[in-house]
Amino acid sequence: MIIKNLLVHAKTIAAYSFIFLIFSGFVLAAETKTKVRIFGLFLPDRENDLRKIIDEWADIKLESIDFKHGEGVFVFDADKIFPKANAGQIITNLDNKLRSASNGTFGIRPLSTVDKEKLVRIEIEVQGLDCRACSFAAYNIIANIDGVEQATSSFKDGLITALIDPGKTQKSVLEEALKKRNVTLKQDQIKK
Amino acid sequence: MINPMRFSQSKSLWVLGVLLLLSQNSFTAEQFLEKHCVSCHDGAAKKGGLDLSSLKVNLENPDNFAKWVKVHDRIQSGEMPPNNKSKPSEIEKSPYLKSLKESLLKADQARIAGNVRTGIRRLTRAEYENTVRDLFDMPGIALQGLLPADGSAHGFDKNSDALDISHVNLAKYVEAANLALDLAIATRPNPPIVQKRRISLANSGGFVAHILLNGDGVLLKDKKPDPNFPPAADQSHLDEGAHERMGVFRTGSSVGLFRHEDESVSPYFIEHVTIYPGLYRVRTSLWSFQWDKGQVLPSRGTEAARLSVVQLTGDGRGGQHPSYVLGYYNAPSLEPKEHELITWLNHNEIIGFNTASLAPVANYNRKGRAMAFTGPGITVDWLDIEGPLHQVWPPKSHQVLFDNLPMAEFKQAEQQGVKPPQRKQIRQLGAGKNRPDPVTGIWTVQSENPLKDADRLLASFLPRAFRRPVSNEVRKEYVDRVNDRLKAGDCFETAMRWAYRAALCSPDFLYHVEPDQKLDDHSLANRLSYFFWNSMPDEHLRGLANSGKLKSKEIISAEVERLLKDPRSQRFIEDFLGQWLKLRQIAANDPDRGLYPEANPYLQDSMVAETRAYFRELIEKNLDASHLVKSDFVMINEKLAKHYGISGISGAEIRKVPLPRDCPRGGFLTQAAILKVTANGTTTSPVPRGAFVLERFLGEKPDPPPPNIPAVEPDVQGATTIREQLAKHRADPSCASCHAKIDPPGFALEAFDVIGGFRTRYRSLGEGDKAERGSIDPFIGIRFKLGPTVDPSGVMPGEKQFKDIIELQKILASRPERLLKNMLEQLASYSTGRPVAFSDRENIDNIIEKTMRNGAGLRTLLRELVQSELFQTH
Repeated sequence: MIIKNLLVHAKTIAAYSFIFLIFSGFVLAAETKTKVRIFGLFLPDRENDLRKIIDEWADIKLESIDFKHGEGVFVFDADKIFPKANAGQIITNLDNKLRSASNGTFGIRPLSTVDKEKLVRIEIEVQGLDCRACSFAAYNIIANIDGVEQATSSFKDGLITALIDPGKTQKSVLEEALKKRNVTLKQDQIKK
Repeated sequence: MINPMRFSQSKSLWVLGVLLLLSQNSFTAEQFLEKHCVSCHDGAAKKGGLDLSSLKVNLENPDNFAKWVKVHDRIQSGEMPPNNKSKPSEIEKSPYLKSLKESLLKADQARIAGNVRTGIRRLTRAEYENTVRDLFDMPGIALQGLLPADGSAHGFDKNSDALDISHVNLAKYVEAANLALDLAIATRPNPPIVQKRRISLANSGGFVAHILLNGDGVLLKDKKPDPNFPPAADQSHLDEGAHERMGVFRTGSSVGLFRHEDESVSPYFIEHVTIYPGLYRVRTSLWSFQWDKGQVLPSRGTEAARLSVVQLTGDGRGGQHPSYVLGYYNAPSLEPKEHELITWLNHNEIIGFNTASLAPVANYNRKGRAMAFTGPGITVDWLDIEGPLHQVWPPKSHQVLFDNLPMAEFKQAEQQGVKPPQRKQIRQLGAGKNRPDPVTGIWTVQSENPLKDADRLLASFLPRAFRRPVSNEVRKEYVDRVNDRLKAGDCFETAMRWAYRAALCSPDFLYHVEPDQKLDDHSLANRLSYFFWNSMPDEHLRGLANSGKLKSKEIISAEVERLLKDPRSQRFIEDFLGQWLKLRQIAANDPDRGLYPEANPYLQDSMVAETRAYFRELIEKNLDASHLVKSDFVMINEKLAKHYGISGISGAEIRKVPLPRDCPRGGFLTQAAILKVTANGTTTSPVPRGAFVLERFLGEKPDPPPPNIPAVEPDVQGATTIREQLAKHRADPSCASCHAKIDPPGFALEAFDVIGGFRTRYRSLGEGDKAERGSIDPFIGIRFKLGPTVDPSGVMPGEKQFKDIIELQKILASRPERLLKNMLEQLASYSTGRPVAFSDRENIDNIIEKTMRNGAGLRTLLRELVQSELFQTH
């Protein structure tokens, strides 16, 4: 008799547990949108490169890309893919995942805290081979300078652009960094 | 018994000598020497350093003996007395020579009677390595580098006088045995997974990607510049790492290179770094093109690329010279040509590459780089590497040691008190993308009855390793060793390994063990196989020895044919020529870049390949001895053809080419390899070259120069010729007699420069006229000038005049028996490990006589040699 009662209770408990799990599952599986800065968007067609990589991922979606500001919105369930990670670690983990998948040509950074209105757009004319990898190399030089919030690089167009925080850096710093790494600036070329 | 050598200018000694030593003919002998020799060879004149008045008669003294042999030979050949003195009549000469010969023979036989002819000798480094390779069927294991260098005596490292042994040798033998057993013993139930990898020459971590960024090459797609990687121009590409990250070099594009390997650039396919030593299949696709500032056009002809093997060391970054060359491969114009080879690769070896036939060109810092360059290039589409390849598992090397015993995982819990076998951790250097297989426990052979199995395995292994039957007592000693180790707690594999290592370090393995007098069947089998294969006998030869049939003339002849036909005979050709013709010293000096800018590794390797192919051709076609110095064909490839001024030859492969009429080539003497090893990289001199011809082709080793005589230094500034300098030297009477013999062949060879190029004028870095480019690649800068005219004429002893090398070749070829005799002495010394003695002369004369009767061919000579007592006695 006792055993029979226990079995009845067990069935009831199991049924309730199942319902709870379904509910809690909905709650746990809730995806969030995360807006971040994207490293590596130095040419418009890099959007396609990025989408190809993200399309391979089952658990993370790329909802939108703002090429002008070098930003994008990712959709994913952080608890599921980065369990136990706090907000800061989630960005780091996502960055690592993307760097690993892209051979270090893309990365994720937190959104800039600088007011966009305060950013200054600068342009540097350059001369070089019409080569995407060279464009990436030049981009890599300036995108890693403190104060550069976004950048593009195209040797095809002979132009490097950057949105900079004037409080932190200035055009001449970028130019010097480029020259130091053997990038030929057009003005120097004309002088020669 | 007469002894005609006793002579003294001192009357008292002379009389004493007569009384004590001479028979009734001695007066004749004394008279002969008095009349014909002493005026020049007494204590005062001492011409040629020979003072007969003080020369002791003691023939037991090797120096005295050698001097009297020389007296005999010089008189016999007619060289002495010289032409400007009165010559003895045959009636005078014959009795003297006869008695002298008898005395020398008697003394030599007395010397030999108390001793074995060939002293006990260990395996040379090459013999050791080849023996281990053949014993374990590991055809590329590298052991020579572990062992101390061998000495050399009487021209060869196989001579027992050179093969001493020290504690260093012993320590190294233990090391080498351990390495061999490490590789031979299977340590896993299944073979390593066969990995196949397609590698671009612009692979990450290599040099090529870097130089592509700077215009020393281009990426090509569909025979056009890769649109994703424009050729470097005024601007070079930026940042190699950025290009690698963007995948520029992983798109399947071909790599077209303009640049040659040099001090700062060594192209490697570094994405494969060998983990498991073994056989690997290597395939590559190559073609050539003419680059014209961005355009890919048909090339000037078939170019040649070199594949090599490079051993990574230290931190694995490379930068090493090739350990050895795999080969030179054709790259036809715009037509991809696939090449495949199977080669053994050792741990941490990689494949290297070189645009061998291209001139050294560097666009790296040149204005406009690739887009301003017009010139030849070689393209590598890809290189596939697949392996390790195993036909059976466990491999044959393991089966040699453990036959068919099963392998099982060693579980300590099930084998209490037994120590597991030691396993070395695999350490892969460099940037290889191939990875070791996961380790799945410790696997080792299992034996249900260890001592019984040990006895069975050793009964099979020891006779093979020792190259002869092994007694039960000896085998028992090894089995006892196994038993000791088992008692000490070793597992079966470790215990057996002790015994095998002991065997590989024992005198039975390390030495040629031969009976005292006539060789038995097993010693004969060994002598044959170490002669023609530089290694142990195979199963067939051992079988013949076991059956006691080997000494049959027919069977020996058949074996000679079989051994020579086998690819292993290439070891004999390389080892013998390496020493007889000094090919081992081909890289002993680098030709002066100012004087000989066209010299490069491809030319040097082609030189060696020519000499080896020529020797093989002589043997295979059984060509007569005159071909040693003169032939109407050469064995060359395109590189050598250009070097020799012969047109119409394309490609890297060596082939037989008929010589144009009046071409100053043919025979060994005019081969570039011989001309290089007899020069110093900057200048030539008739003296070393003449001495080389005398010693190595005519069998007349010149005496060393007297002390305190300064060497003749050739003048690279072009003011005086070496002949002019030598003329002063030869004016000295103490030098004249030897140089009269040495210099003439050297004078004829003055028609060839230090890299074997034909010349009518010396090159000069000082005075001179502007030099024509000739066959020198247009991309090679020329700064040498043309200096004095070469005079290749001379007079050989016996007043035989020649005006050039062609006439000298005719003179030398006119006496094939002399060439044959020298060849025989060289081969006999090489194969028996002892110098030819005075008392061997009758044997030698018999062999020469038989060989001459049968056409004077070199193969006939080899056959007659191995059938002779000379070869078949200890």
